[in-house]
Amino acid sequence: MDASLLTVQPTAPEPIYRQIVEQLRRLIAGGQLVAGDPLPSVRDVAGFHAINPMTVSRAYGIAESEGLLERQRGKGMVVAVTRKATQTESHRLALLEPQLQALVRHTRELELPAEPVLRRLTKLLGE
Amino acid sequence: MNAVLRETESTVAPLAVSGLVHCYEGSNVLTGVDLALEPGSVLGLIGRNGAGKSTLIRIMLGLLQPLAGEAFVFGEPALKLSDAAKARIAYVPQQPEALAWLTAQQMFDFIGRFYPRWDVAFAKRMLERWQIPPNKLLAKLSPGERQRVDLIRALASQPELLVLDEPAAALDPVARRELLREVALRAGESGTTVLFSTHIVSDLERVASEIAFMHQGKLLMRCSVDETKERYARLWLPGKMSAAAPMNSLSRRRHDDGSLSLVVERDAHGQWPEAANLPGARVDALGLEDLFVEIAE
Repeated sequence: MDASLLTVQPTAPEPIYRQIVEQLRRLIAGGQLVAGDPLPSVRDVAGFHAINPMTVSRAYGIAESEGLLERQRGKGMVVAVTRKATQTESHRLALLEPQLQALVRHTRELELPAEPVLRRLTKLLGE
Repeated sequence: MNAVLRETESTVAPLAVSGLVHCYEGSNVLTGVDLALEPGSVLGLIGRNGAGKSTLIRIMLGLLQPLAGEAFVFGEPALKLSDAAKARIAYVPQQPEALAWLTAQQMFDFIGRFYPRWDVAFAKRMLERWQIPPNKLLAKLSPGERQRVDLIRALASQPELLVLDEPAAALDPVARRELLREVALRAGESGTTVLFSTHIVSDLERVASEIAFMHQGKLLMRCSVDETKERYARLWLPGKMSAAAPMNSLSRRRHDDGSLSLVVERDAHGQWPEAANLPGARVDALGLEDLFVEIAE
C-alpha cells in the first residue's frame, strides 16, 4: 500500500486521525487491503500529506487496538489476519451507522414519516 | 554532566509567558495572556488581523518589552537571552528586513557560523527549489522572496524552537505544502517545538497539535486540534425554542427569523447540552474555520 491511497481533508469537521482509521476500515472491509499487506510508514504518510506524524501514529494505534492492523517485527504495520467469522453482520452494520444516522436526520428535516422511507429502502436493497 | 544538563532542560517549556499586558498608543493589544508550549508541540496561533498575534510573538521572544507580565525562553528571561539560548531558536517575522545589504548566499555564509547545526546542503537545495537568485541583494528581492529566504535560513539552522509569523503569506500552494511538510516532520522526528501564527486555518489543521484562538488581545481557547473538532459544535434552535438555549455557550447569534445559533461544548460525559434534543433543534459538526468565524465574529 502507498501513502497516496489515503486521502486527508484537513478542513473536514472529522479529525484527521479518524479519517485515516475510517479509510483503513473501509479498504480492509472492501478487500483492497488484505491480511499481511504492509502499511506505509508513519513518516511516509505524514510527509506525503504534510500532516503531523503524531496524527498518523494515533490513527495506526487505534487501528491496531481495533484489530485492523498488527505490528510485525522488521516490517512495521501490516493488515491483521482477520477472523472472518467475527467480522460478520454486526461489525459490518456498525460501519454503516454514520450513513444511517444521516438518513434519519434528512428524513426528519423533510418531515417524512418512517414508513415510505423504509418501503423505498427495502425496494432499493431488494434490487 | 552535559547529558544530565540536557535532561533537565528538556522538561523546561521552550516558551512560557504569563500575565502579558501591552498597548500601543493607548489601545490595548494584549490584555492578560498566559501561554506555555510543551517541548515537541506544534502550536498554531490563530486570530483576525489586529488580534495581537505578532505582538504576542515578539514579546515571547524578547523582541519587545511588555507593559506588564513575564516571558521566558527555555527558562531564561526573554529580554536577557544568552547566546546559547539564541542559537537554539529560529524566528521568521512577517516582513524580514535584516541584513538587506547582503545576498542570500552571503547572508547564509555569515549567519551559518552562529549555528552549530547549520545545514549547508539544505540551504542550497531550498534556494534552488524556491527559485531564489542566490547572488542578488536581499534588498532587491520581492517581499515574498525575502520571506522565503528567511524561512530557509530558519529551517537550515535546525532550531529546537521554530517561530513563524504568518509564514504562508509569501508562499504559493506548492511551496506552502513543502514548508508544512518540513514543519510536521521536524516536530515529529526531531522534537522541534513550533509556534506559528496564521489565518489560513487549513494549514493549521494539517500540522498543528494544538491551537490557540486569539481575539481582541485575549486567548479565547486553547485546545488540541482533534479535541476541538470533537468537542464543539453549532447548535441551531428555531425561534420559538430559543428560550431553552443553554446559558453557557461560546457564542450566540440571533438570526433575522428569530432562530438562534450557538457554539456549544460537550459535557464531561460527552453529551451535548439538553436543548440539542428538543424537536427542531440541530447539531452541526464544525470545522475549525467555521468555529473560528462563529467565535470571532
